[in-house]
Amino acid sequence: MAESSDDKRNRRRRATAAIATLSVLVAALAVVPSFVSDYSLSLMINVMCYLVLTIAWALFSGTTRLVSLATSAFFGVGMYTVAMLVKLVPLYAAFAAAIGVGAALALVVGVATLRISGMFFVIFSFGLSEMMRELMVWWEINQTHTMGRYVYVPFDTTMIYEHLLGLAAVVFLVGWLLRRSRLGLALLVIGEDETVARQVGINVPFAKVTIFIVSSTFMTLAGALMAPRFGFINPNFAFNPLVSFTVVIMALLGGLQKLWGPVLGVIPLIILSEHLQTEFPFWYSVLLGLVFMVIVYFLPRGVTGLLEDSWTALGRPLELPRGLTGPLLDAWTWLSRPIFLPRGIAGAIEDRWLKIMPRVTEKR
Amino acid sequence: MSEPTSALLQVDGLRKSFGGLVAVNDISLAVSAGEVLGLIGPNGSGKTTLLNLIAGSIRPDAGTISMAGEDVTRLPNHLRVRKRINRTFQLVRAPPNMPAIGTVMAGVLYGAGERVSFKDAGYEAAGWLGEMNVLTKADRRFDQLTYIEQKRVELARALATRPRVLLLDEWLSGLTPSELEGGMSVVWSLAARGIAVILVEHVMTAVRALCHRVIVMNAGSKIAEGRPDAVLRDPEVTRAYLGDDDA
Repeated sequence: MAESSDDKRNRRRRATAAIATLSVLVAALAVVPSFVSDYSLSLMINVMCYLVLTIAWALFSGTTRLVSLATSAFFGVGMYTVAMLVKLVPLYAAFAAAIGVGAALALVVGVATLRISGMFFVIFSFGLSEMMRELMVWWEINQTHTMGRYVYVPFDTTMIYEHLLGLAAVVFLVGWLLRRSRLGLALLVIGEDETVARQVGINVPFAKVTIFIVSSTFMTLAGALMAPRFGFINPNFAFNPLVSFTVVIMALLGGLQKLWGPVLGVIPLIILSEHLQTEFPFWYSVLLGLVFMVIVYFLPRGVTGLLEDSWTALGRPLELPRGLTGPLLDAWTWLSRPIFLPRGIAGAIEDRWLKIMPRVTEKR
Repeated sequence: MSEPTSALLQVDGLRKSFGGLVAVNDISLAVSAGEVLGLIGPNGSGKTTLLNLIAGSIRPDAGTISMAGEDVTRLPNHLRVRKRINRTFQLVRAPPNMPAIGTVMAGVLYGAGERVSFKDAGYEAAGWLGEMNVLTKADRRFDQLTYIEQKRVELARALATRPRVLLLDEWLSGLTPSELEGGMSVVWSLAARGIAVILVEHVMTAVRALCHRVIVMNAGSKIAEGRPDAVLRDPEVTRAYLGDDDA
């Protein structure tokens, strides 16, 4: 390999550039709290939290193509572990404990779901979240005779924000490394054809459980960091299934083909949901549901797909001869086209994933 | 029957039944390095099941499989790949949406070869595609390739894991005469490399030209074994293919 040293230098330069950009961005975001209002900061906390959850979700579901609705289970476990331990141990010890509990739960769930795939995995993961919630409700009512816990700790919103920012940077870095790694490639093969994966020597159960644990641990830690934000926590709040659905929609909206796709999904949805909540408090859920449906129907390739399309459109020569009737004709065609059944989440991931693979192999 | 002691892969008394159907009934065989062993028989005679048992995608009810003197009967599929047994599939299989080189790279990274960096795995995978004459299709999606190209990519994937025993399940079927000729020379080159090849095949020209030895199966049992020309003249073999009782 003659140009190997050249290659290496190039790669190192690109890696340095990427890491430098990320550090500058993180540093810039880290000083933001001293300049913005409390309200903006709380909005930014939500953005960071969902950013961690969505990227973590994409680590597992984007590659293996198993759509998980267990996000709220792990998020809730993180939150609840901190809520239970905060009076007994220092806060950071509670965070560490949450990591341990989340990873252990992910290991058990991962091993238990090895043989489940497709729709069954979706249902199972949803069931898991609901079971965790009911279990905690039962525990609190029958064992501790409370229905909720107070979390009062010296960990203010700025601290929460900084920690979540750090976590987001780490999960982003993990995703970046995964796309350039042996495990990442193995997961892509598994997502397409498990039989072939075994036949190239990949330990399929091991790879799946590993990435599930990594992904779930990030979700758990996000939940743990969010616990001090709410003074009072009960099981129905911690294990809110809406979190799971929101994360899937955010990933869909942003698109999984680019690692920064989730950023484009998380920010608009957080802002939108904030608006809906304040302007239409009674219709909030209905409107949010409508938004979800619109996204799945009209943006199956996500915002990144849309950006790509408009980029291509800009490069196209203008079609002058069609004049004003052109757009009208287009509108007519658009209105009269048959409505396609959406290919759903799996379809979207399928489309997206086509883009992931060339990125993994483009090394030269 | 006494098997040669130099056998690379040795199968003894292998048996597998699905419910009441005995798909593979007490089969023993051995192949040594550089040998091409043909496995023929009418449809449903258990050839593919036997390959699945050797590759490790299903477990036998009885019998043993040993590779280079080591018992691998209990090893799962992916560990047998690392013990250097690999296969191709009757209906060509590879991740359909992935570039052809991706699956070959995975073979390099996870197979029995020595550990290489991610980038070097790319170079090595390209080498295997080149050897199979499909390097120009390296970044084409697998499902956009022609049938013969797919077959060659699949073989490159298998070779990338550095097998010493290679199971080819009807790898030469469905090809045009010129493609068949190319395919046969590929199989020859595998044997010349010292790989033990087990060839499940219906194309008799290929069986006659390539195989050092042939095993004929019928209804799960071995009914004949020997040199191809001798075996194909065996009256019992003729009866199994064309005869009165068998479908």
